[in-house]
Formats: sequence, structure tokens, C-alpha cells
Amino acid sequence: MKTGIFICHCGHNIKHTVDVKALSEYFKSIPNVYISTDYSFVCSEPGQDLIRKSIEKYKLDRVIVASCTPSLHGDLFKDLLKKSGLNPFFLRRVSIREHCSWVGDDIKKNTEKAKKLILGGLFSVVHNVPLEEKVVDVDKSAVIIGGGIAGLSAACFLSRMGISVHVIEKEKELGGHVKLLKKVWPSGRSGREIIGEMVSELEGRDNVKIYTDARVESLEGYFGNYVMRISVGGDKEIYLKAGGIIVATGFTPFDPSIKPELSYGKDKRILTTLDIERGLDEIELPQAPKVAILHCVGSRDESIGKSYCSRVCCINALRAAQTIKEKYPEAYVECFYMDVRAHPKGGEEYYEEIQKMGVLFTRGVVAEIVPKEKALLVRGEDTLLSEVFEKEFDLVILSIGMSSEIGNRRISQLLKVSLDRDGFFLEAHIKLRPFDTAVKGIFIAGCCSGPKDVEESINQGRASALKLFGMLNKGYTFLEPFIADVSEKRCSGCRMCEMVCVANAIRYEAIKKVAKVEEAQCMGCGLCSATCPSSAITLKGYSDTQICDEISGLLWRE
Amino acid sequence: MDYDNGEKDFINIVGFACTYCAFKASEMAGSLRLKYPEGVKVIQVPCSSRVDPAFVIKAIFEGADGVFVAGCHPGDCHFIRGNYFTRRRIFALKEMFDAFSMRGKVRLFWTSAAEARKFVEKVTKMYEDLKEGKNEG
Repeated sequence: MKTGIFICHCGHNIKHTVDVKALSEYFKSIPNVYISTDYSFVCSEPGQDLIRKSIEKYKLDRVIVASCTPSLHGDLFKDLLKKSGLNPFFLRRVSIREHCSWVGDDIKKNTEKAKKLILGGLFSVVHNVPLEEKVVDVDKSAVIIGGGIAGLSAACFLSRMGISVHVIEKEKELGGHVKLLKKVWPSGRSGREIIGEMVSELEGRDNVKIYTDARVESLEGYFGNYVMRISVGGDKEIYLKAGGIIVATGFTPFDPSIKPELSYGKDKRILTTLDIERGLDEIELPQAPKVAILHCVGSRDESIGKSYCSRVCCINALRAAQTIKEKYPEAYVECFYMDVRAHPKGGEEYYEEIQKMGVLFTRGVVAEIVPKEKALLVRGEDTLLSEVFEKEFDLVILSIGMSSEIGNRRISQLLKVSLDRDGFFLEAHIKLRPFDTAVKGIFIAGCCSGPKDVEESINQGRASALKLFGMLNKGYTFLEPFIADVSEKRCSGCRMCEMVCVANAIRYEAIKKVAKVEEAQCMGCGLCSATCPSSAITLKGYSDTQICDEISGLLWRE
Repeated sequence: MDYDNGEKDFINIVGFACTYCAFKASEMAGSLRLKYPEGVKVIQVPCSSRVDPAFVIKAIFEGADGVFVAGCHPGDCHFIRGNYFTRRRIFALKEMFDAFSMRGKVRLFWTSAAEARKFVEKVTKMYEDLKEGKNEG
């Protein structure tokens, strides 16, 4: 074994608190270390050249780069090894910047720590084995769960790019909640029209199949090769093959009857913003009606476990106010709000516009609605005046928020995708990967991951479609080489690994009586490896010997 | 250079940090130039559930004064349920350590990728406690 150690100064970042010269001198004395050197910037062109030439000159088969944290410049050094004809997994990065020079001030102590860290790397790299990134074919197809605005926009996008698309909708008609909207703010077009356009686009394509009144029954496989079983119309079973999946299950409107003090459902003069969409014709109102609009019903309310803001309901409340004012210009409209969060572009201006129409805004919390024969009695507190009020209205509109779709839990269990505490689907990273889930090849779009307006849902549908397309279009995928590996010789067939595996990647081979890892499915967490009582499973790249020897290195005593 | 050999009050702590949360937090601690004792050395593991109790025992045998396992907050595990297994496993290990009056030598905590300060607080506290000889879980 021939190891080369390259210690980076990182300008002054490492050098000023670690004695890099002493370090490189020290490692020269260690057997099997053919070259140990320090350089100002190992990641620079000349630095890379130094590594490349050293590999050639000394025929190195292990390379240790002690520099910044491994998540930086990872591919750079890997490619360097590849170009030099070495397996990239013979590289070991040791973080002596983020984990050493930047977190301590004492040069002597830091140098000692860096030495131990590099020793840890040196001891563990000995056990590195060449790993292959396996290639598997990808089926150029996608299943979209949910035929609402987000799902449809994803379907339009994907089908336009030549991916065969299956859309699954649990209702008898596509369109979700958007088709109920009379005027979608700010364009003013009707929801049915927007949906209709999308549906007719999809119906004209051969590579699109729409299943209404359908439900997901099971899912097997992995990215590129999923097989989903769905039932259509309650009896017919269909198997769909798909490369990737987009979850666009949408939301459930908040049911105000959970809050009995609002008397929703007990009086027909208390409506939600969604009821208003069906029209005002059913209710009889005087020439100059008094209308109250309550914001934040089912949002930002800790008492019912919904602490989040539903984002769209402020605009919905404003739209309701506009609808009333347009039909009854004489009307007295009063909104009770916490804050007005007219969040999308143009929202703030719209809020001003509504105020100019003569709609009153009172910062206050409504505690109770008491239906009387002639009017609705609204009791609450004006939080700016700190006064309790009691007012009579002819109509109360509840601006309801969005709750997570009830079916989410079932879908999440079938797809093995996590939900957050509010029951929405969890993003892989809220900022950096908002469309991805933790499972490769499964994306989320629209309100299934949290309240969104129509525009955002359309955009998210497209973004997820684009991300999925990028993965599918390649036609193949590399599998992470850090996966579990079973030694059949040691495996006793106790099946404990199968029980704990989160990714469902372990199968039991009844004939051989051993466990087998489904390579493409394994996520590489190493849980099985730590669980196995006979140490028969190892996680490639993080094997027991690698970790144990790293421990020995870190705690090395002369 | 080998000042810690023979130096009595030098505390060696080996930590296992999961790639997605705790290791990210430790990277961030570095980027923020937060300081923590030099005796703390971190090993990167894909998930805290990769940590076999044998690793903890091995580290103690090799002379570590303490071992910590750090992972994502419950429910935030990149591998969905990995840290629940870690929680149970380390709890069981602690019970065993307790029998040898070594409860304080192993610790488990959760940090998100953003909680660099919490990471530093936790490891510093552990270091201080071990130095004072407090045997706390």
C-alpha cells in the first residue's frame, strides 16, 4: 500500500493555527506513506498537478487530502483520481479546517488534533475498497398523484417533453379545488377555464393517461423502475410502470365546525370563502347589508394545532369583500384580521384598492358568533383599542385556511415519504431542495407540502416536472456506491435487518436462508449494519473496520 | 508534539455525527469560527443509526473519555426513521454503562444542520462535565 498525504494551508485559514510543516514532517516517518507534503492551496491547479504527479511518480494507491470539509470540492478530487487512473473511492478527505483550525486557537493543541484526525483518515483509508457507481436503466414515464392544478401543470410539462404520464385522480373529475373558483386572482379568469385548457391539452396527447375515481394501492421498486398498483372505480386493478412520481395531492379546506363558537353550519348566514364561490344568489340580503369577514379561520391558531399561516386566505378574504361590494355597493363590510398578509405580487396594492372601496379593517379577534333571528351577533376583542365589542351583521364570511389532505398519511406510508407535523409532505430541504422528497425520484408539487396559491402551485408543478425530467431523460441513473452488502457466509438468516430497513431494500432469500440487499433501493443509512447481530452486513464506504480503525487513529498514543 | 500523552486532565471525546444534520452543524460551527475544546474529534457517519454500540465501546477501550452520538431531530431523519433506532440503541447502551458507573461517558443529542451553536454548547458541556468528573447522562 502506497499512501500520499497532502496537507493544505488554505492560505492562512489552516496555516495560522496549525503547524503544517511539522505535520507533513511527522507523516514522512510513517511506513507506507510515500509522500507527505504541504501546499498552499491543494485545490488550485498547481495543487492538483502536485497530486497527479505524485500518483504517477510513487504509484500511489491511497490519497489523503487534509484540507476543508469533505462536502466541499468533493467531486474535484474524485475526478482527479479518476483521471489518474485510480478508483475515486481510494481518496480520503480529512477536515482540518472546519473541524480543527477554525474551532481552536492554540497552535500546539490544534496541530496535535490535526495529527490525530489525519491518523484517523490514514488508518481507515487502508480499508477502502474500490467501489463502482452502478448504472441502471430508467423508464421514461411518470405517475402523478392528484389531478389538481399542480398535478395537471406537471403533467402538461412532462408530456410535452415526451415522457409518458399517468395522472391519478381520486375524484370523478379533474381540477381539484381550482375548478370551483369563479375568479382566480389576479387574472380574474375562472378556475374551470384554466383547468379546461390544461385538460384539453392533455387529452390531445397519446402519451397521457388519465385515471379518475382512482386510488393508489401499493408501490414497489425504486427510482427509474417503480411499479404502482392502482384501483379504478373501486374494482378494476391496474399496474403502472413509472420512472418517477410526483405527489400533488393538494389540501383539504379547513372545516370551521371544529370551532363550535363560530356556529358554522348552524345558520345559513355564516359562510366560508369557498361557499361564496358558489355565488351569493342563495342568500337573501337587504339593499345595504352588513357583512363581517373573519380572517385566519383555521390558520395561526395554536388552540386547534394549526400554527401555520395558510397564505392564500387574506387574498380570499379581500376577494370576498370585493364580491360583496360589487353586488351591493351600499354594503357595510368589516374585516377582522390579525395581520393582513397579502403576500403575492400585487397583493399589497390589491389590499389598498379594497380599502379605498370602503371596506373597513379592524384588528381584532372574534370570540363568538351568536345567530339571532334578525342578525348575527359577533363578539370579540379589538386588539388595538383593547376593547371588547359586540356588533350585529347580516352575513358572516369565514376566510378559511388550508389543512393537509386527509389522504396524505396513507400516501406517505405507501410511498415511504415523510410528512411534517401538520400532515403536509416534507421537503428534502426547505430552501435548497423544496421539490424533492428524501426518496430519490419522488417529488412534491402544490399544496401537498404546505399552503400555496394557484400561481405557486402551477410553478411548483412545473419545477417538479422539470427536475424529474432531468433525471428521467438521461435514461440511466448512477446508484450511490455506499450501500449495504451482506456476507452470505456470516448471515444467519435472522431477518432483523429486513425488519428495521426503512427503504424496504432487504429481501429474505428463503432457499439460501440469507438476506439480500436490493442495491438500487438501498439508501445507505447503515442501520442494518449496526443492527446485524452476526456482523454480516457492512456498509460500503463506512465499514466496521473503517470506522473502528478511524477511532484508533483519533485516539492514537505514541 | 505529543503533549496529551501523559497529560492528566486532557479529555478525549470521540463523536459520531450524521452527514445530514449533526456533521453539517459541526461544519457550520467551523465556518462561524465558534470555538470548542481540541479534545473533541468528530467522525462522519451517514446516519446516526450507523453507530454500532460496539464503536462506542471500542472508543472507550482505546482511551476516549467520552463518546457522543449526534443526529437529526426526531422526525427529521434523512433516512426517515433512523434516529429512532439510534435513540433506543444508545438508551440501552447507557443502561449498560450505568452498571459500570460510566453513564456520563456516552451522550446522545440532536442538532439540525442549522444548529451550530447548539452543537458547540453540547460538546463543550460534555467536555466540561467529563473534566469535572461528573457522571451525568
